[in-house]
Amino acid sequence: MNVALRQTTALFIDAYRELAAGKLFWITLVLSGLVAGVFAMIGIDEESMTVLWFRLPFPVDSSDISPGALYKLLFFQLGISIWLAWIATILGLITTAGIIPSLVSSGVIDSMVAKPISRTRLFLTRYATGLLFAALQVGLFSGVAFLVLGFRGGEWLPAVFLAIPIVVVFFSYLFSIMALFGLITKSTIPALLLTLLDWFGLFIVNRLDESLVQIHESTKLRIQTAEERIERGEANATQMVIRVKQSEDPTVTDDYEPTTEELDAANPMLPLVRRTRDDAIRSEAQIRPWTDGLFITKSVLPKTTETIALLDRFILSEEEANQIFDIFTPDNGGTDVDEETGSIRVGNEDLQEAAIERLQSRSLLWILGTSLAFEAVILAICCFIFTRRDF
Amino acid sequence: MTPPASSDTAIELIDVAKTYGGRFGKKTPALRGVNMNVKRGEVFGLIGPNGAGKSTLVKILMTVIRPSTCTGSLLGSPIGHKPALARVGYLPEHHAFPGYLTGAQVIDFFGAMAGLSRRERKQRSGALLDLVGMTAWSRRRLRSYSKGMRQRIGIAQALINDPELVLLDEPTARDDPVGRPQIRQNIEQIRDEGRTVLINSHILSELEHLCDRFGLLVKGVMANAGTMDELTEGQRRYYIAVRPESAQGIELDNGTVHVDTEDPNELQPHIDRLSARGDVNTGIRSFRPTLEDIFM
Repeated sequence: MNVALRQTTALFIDAYRELAAGKLFWITLVLSGLVAGVFAMIGIDEESMTVLWFRLPFPVDSSDISPGALYKLLFFQLGISIWLAWIATILGLITTAGIIPSLVSSGVIDSMVAKPISRTRLFLTRYATGLLFAALQVGLFSGVAFLVLGFRGGEWLPAVFLAIPIVVVFFSYLFSIMALFGLITKSTIPALLLTLLDWFGLFIVNRLDESLVQIHESTKLRIQTAEERIERGEANATQMVIRVKQSEDPTVTDDYEPTTEELDAANPMLPLVRRTRDDAIRSEAQIRPWTDGLFITKSVLPKTTETIALLDRFILSEEEANQIFDIFTPDNGGTDVDEETGSIRVGNEDLQEAAIERLQSRSLLWILGTSLAFEAVILAICCFIFTRRDF
Repeated sequence: MTPPASSDTAIELIDVAKTYGGRFGKKTPALRGVNMNVKRGEVFGLIGPNGAGKSTLVKILMTVIRPSTCTGSLLGSPIGHKPALARVGYLPEHHAFPGYLTGAQVIDFFGAMAGLSRRERKQRSGALLDLVGMTAWSRRRLRSYSKGMRQRIGIAQALINDPELVLLDEPTARDDPVGRPQIRQNIEQIRDEGRTVLINSHILSELEHLCDRFGLLVKGVMANAGTMDELTEGQRRYYIAVRPESAQGIELDNGTVHVDTEDPNELQPHIDRLSARGDVNTGIRSFRPTLEDIFM
């Protein structure tokens, strides 16, 4: 074993001992195991969903969703999106908040930097040890979820273990921010609070992005629906006008092109729908700079929500995704034109589908590449500070 | 450029300066061009008042602080050369090893950080725990240790890599008077093993007996350096005590005649002169200034 490997191993063992010395580490791990264990209690059959031997009064049975898809849904919606991406992450941040401040605190750092290890490597190794916690936690959770999916859902799905790199990468965005604050403030509590504040800021940006995408897609759907309706309406009106014209004047041919006024007279809905379309075009033009601007803003920020959502792409098949989509998206009818006012009512399913499609069209490179670039910049700043600081 | 260090030089420093930048652009010079030389195998005591820059100098050697300017070498390598630190042991002044580690784990951890294999660490840590008298406590966590016990573990971790050079920053500062002899004994053992030792301490009486040479740092400048004899040169004297009633016509100071000389042979004429006068000589005492006398 070479010197660098010995030092790295020693730092990892020390980090584990530091984490293991805290009660919160064990509490979080036990809770992770418990949450995964709760999955095993949930089942579904031909009648309804069950928890152990109790039947749940939900109108969902195995004809709506297969047991395999249900466990995947639970794993993703509850296990990953709520437990690991929120609750366990907060507990994880609390547990690991002291890793960098304790490194740079007086009394420890002197002995560490006085060893034959470069400051950059020392910092980055110490940083990596913080991710060890996230890896342990999500590893335990994924392991139990894998067994539950296999035994209870009847699907042995190694892709579940993709949660380990994805959640660790997600955690690393926040941990890098916390490392920077920890390095600057040399204090655990301010580092933690500033990171949570930062995370809240990212959450707001994400929500804003999702909302604007929905509004934008809704506007685009309105334009598309209106144009389809106008095209169809104009075609019908044209036929009507030609028939009327030919009845009055037999010399009028089939390729006669009626004026707009003639078409509107033939179909009074057309001017209303055109107005609705024009309004929607104006709205779209107003919204587009905001969605584009937010997209650019998000490009330089870590994409926490999208990173976690990657699991959705990897774990769920298209059919399962559709099953889940149907369960969670109440159908209020398709997108259509109100025949009296000419306004357009956007269907919930259409809108959700369009929004999801747009959000999922964002490439892996954009989601992970730009987020990791953000993290790399933060770590570069950390290394710059750490290597130049006098202790 | 680093000057070539001779093979018998452990530390060579030329014109080392450090200025700390404060808030609002205020600069505080800590070291103002320090020159220092520590030979291999010697115990060098770094002394000086608080704020003189002693710890800053030690930290520069250990790469804990970046110097403003620095030319010199440490065990033949330029100052700041990380691989050279594998041959150096260091006990920081205000160390606070994590309380969740046991004494044995602290020693093992810093051994690994110095690049030692597991076997080497295992071989040496037992002997070091014996050396500092902590074998019985080695499996207990540091949070249950007294300050003195932590200091002994600190010394053991500084020696885990079998260093050629050991830097001890205030090694006895944490110990109560009862624990100090143990630390002093440890340092003597380190010295007897032929290692080069640089001690920074404000307990001058302890350094006096341990060190071969001293460097007096005052306001960031090496004011004086040398062996005890070199530092006290010209300040040695003898006192010849006489009975006051018999010493008529001689100027006495507390019943003694002061003779300022380094050479005891020069006393004889004074004794003869006093005898010839009939003065009764009741004793001869030599006086050699201590570090404290020089320092104060």
